[in-house]
Amino acid sequence: MAMTDMTIVARSLSLRRFSTATTALMVAVAVALLLTLLSLRDAARKSFERGPGTMHLLVSADTGPLPSVLNSIFYARAPARPITWARYLSLTDATPDNPRRLPLDFAVPVQQGDNYQGWPTLATTREFFDRFQPDPDAERDPSRRWALAAGRFFEKPFEVVVGAKAAAGAGLRVGETIYLTHGTGNSRSGAGGMDDHGHVHREYGFTVVGILAPTGSAHDRALFTDLIGSWILHAHDRREREGAKGLTSEADLTDADRLITGIYVRVRTRPGSDASSAIGPVFEMIRRQGDLTVANPADQIRQLFVIVSNVDQVFVAMSVIVLISSGLAIMLAMVNSMESRRRQIAVLRVLGAGRGRIFSLIVTEAAIIGAIGAAAGIVLAFMGVQVAGAVLKARLGLLLDATIPLDALLPVAAGTIILAALAGLAPGVSAYRTSVARNLRPLG
Amino acid sequence: MDTPALSIQNLTFRYRPDGPWVVDLPGLTLARGEQVLLRAASGAGKSTLLQLIAGLLDPASGRVLVGGQDVHATRGAARDALRGQSIGMIFQTFNLLQGFSAQENVLAALMFSSIPRAEHAARASGLLRTLGIDRPDAPAEELSVGQQQRVAVARAVACRPMLVLADEPTASLDPETADGAMRLIQETCRSEGAALLCVSHDPRLAERFTRHEDWRGLARAGGGGGGAA
Repeated sequence: MAMTDMTIVARSLSLRRFSTATTALMVAVAVALLLTLLSLRDAARKSFERGPGTMHLLVSADTGPLPSVLNSIFYARAPARPITWARYLSLTDATPDNPRRLPLDFAVPVQQGDNYQGWPTLATTREFFDRFQPDPDAERDPSRRWALAAGRFFEKPFEVVVGAKAAAGAGLRVGETIYLTHGTGNSRSGAGGMDDHGHVHREYGFTVVGILAPTGSAHDRALFTDLIGSWILHAHDRREREGAKGLTSEADLTDADRLITGIYVRVRTRPGSDASSAIGPVFEMIRRQGDLTVANPADQIRQLFVIVSNVDQVFVAMSVIVLISSGLAIMLAMVNSMESRRRQIAVLRVLGAGRGRIFSLIVTEAAIIGAIGAAAGIVLAFMGVQVAGAVLKARLGLLLDATIPLDALLPVAAGTIILAALAGLAPGVSAYRTSVARNLRPLG
Repeated sequence: MDTPALSIQNLTFRYRPDGPWVVDLPGLTLARGEQVLLRAASGAGKSTLLQLIAGLLDPASGRVLVGGQDVHATRGAARDALRGQSIGMIFQTFNLLQGFSAQENVLAALMFSSIPRAEHAARASGLLRTLGIDRPDAPAEELSVGQQQRVAVARAVACRPMLVLADEPTASLDPETADGAMRLIQETCRSEGAALLCVSHDPRLAERFTRHEDWRGLARAGGGGGGAA
């Protein structure tokens, strides 16, 4: 087989295999670091953007719109202040004689505060599954609607449907009976909730009737149960404190027991459309009522990313600097190897290789080190995002569906190869200028 | 009449503008297939002369024609191509490519030749077989000195050159081996139709050449003797 420039480059890399391997490893670590950061950022952004699902507005009694969104959509903490059921009914009263009626498509009540082994519970109504959808594109793409991996949705109190991640994490199956924890007991997300006692409700078992298919949203790590069952649970606490005996039923509920922590609101839209000119007016109408916090989740998430992006740009910039440093490492390794390869260069010149060809051999060699490093870095990044995802879940309870985005992978890989080729310019120029006469001694 | 393999006309060279003349050669001509021994003492500047002929150095004045082509009238890639296609070089220390096999060393020379790529492998194998290399795939540095010499000869003639330049080809060999090596170089050049200019200070080589030239006799008064810097 005839020899090619690539044969010479490959042999040269193989002759300096230790230097090649260590330099490529440096590039790989830098590429992996950058890709892992970019993929985590991308996963976080997607997760947050998907979070509001098909709701337009979120109503709560939280102190501000951002905490409201973080608590009621992303399960950061259980909201501190409740909304009474009467207030919910007055807000959503759609009867024609209500002068303040709102043009709503849905207004789904939700209540947080309980958890199972740290996985947050959301008590709600069947509207949550029937009207609200976890993905903003669910109206256009039915495959993005709620779907069950097993069982069915809840139909009555004390039935629970489990999100995909929560089911996997807690090892839950359809048919099991579970006991919810109220408040801080064994809970990450119940801290500071409606009622901060932290104890297990042993009196009322909840039957797992369904496991949800993954949605890629924060809801994957929650459990969903009927609102009335949750009210009964908390009413039972009240009645115990009051000295009442026996189990509590729906008939024992008072207005003080009927509390929710948030309302997922969607303004009426034309079929197939997600936008509505009524969102702004409805937002203003609720805001003017004064006693509730209303948030446009999409706006809040955008603002959150504006704040976070400054920090995340610093991290990305730092990893780009690490990548540039690895390019310098390629340059240094090749410049250092130049002394030992000048004779080879001189021989190739004697055989007929032009200066330009020698230059391109060196630059190609540098680019190949970059390509090897980029390939290894991509493999490392795939492992890195899994590890980072696991650490974020374990430390922060943050669930990210992290995969390396193709629109980051290709530019990073191409950029690394170009950077490596640029790093080959200095040794390439040195090779270009190699004196044949001086390097073929002893000549006589 | 055939164009000479090599024609040198009034060639001068010095390394620094104010330095001594290292080469000052009024003329030297080699006919096609002719073999000439150019005798010169160590440091006389004979390696510099070979590099001038190969186009690796530029003269202060004069012309070098290889197969009628003015080496220094071409520049850059054209001159490199002329060297790769028309000139083979054999060195005292062989200068084989380390880490490459015997076969690859010959293939490396063929890369820059005008021989079609499809013929490279067969040409390299054939030459090495003819020259008695029984391990063409062995790394060059693992071969014996004699075998390395043969690989260097095969590499020099691989591109079917018009001219082979041999620079002290026997200086690192014992007398018995040197005679065999020189015979091999001469026979190979003859069979490949290449002219041979062998520069050496080894008096034992004289009997192997019918035409001898002496550096001092060729060079103008005061020229030569600077040595390669």
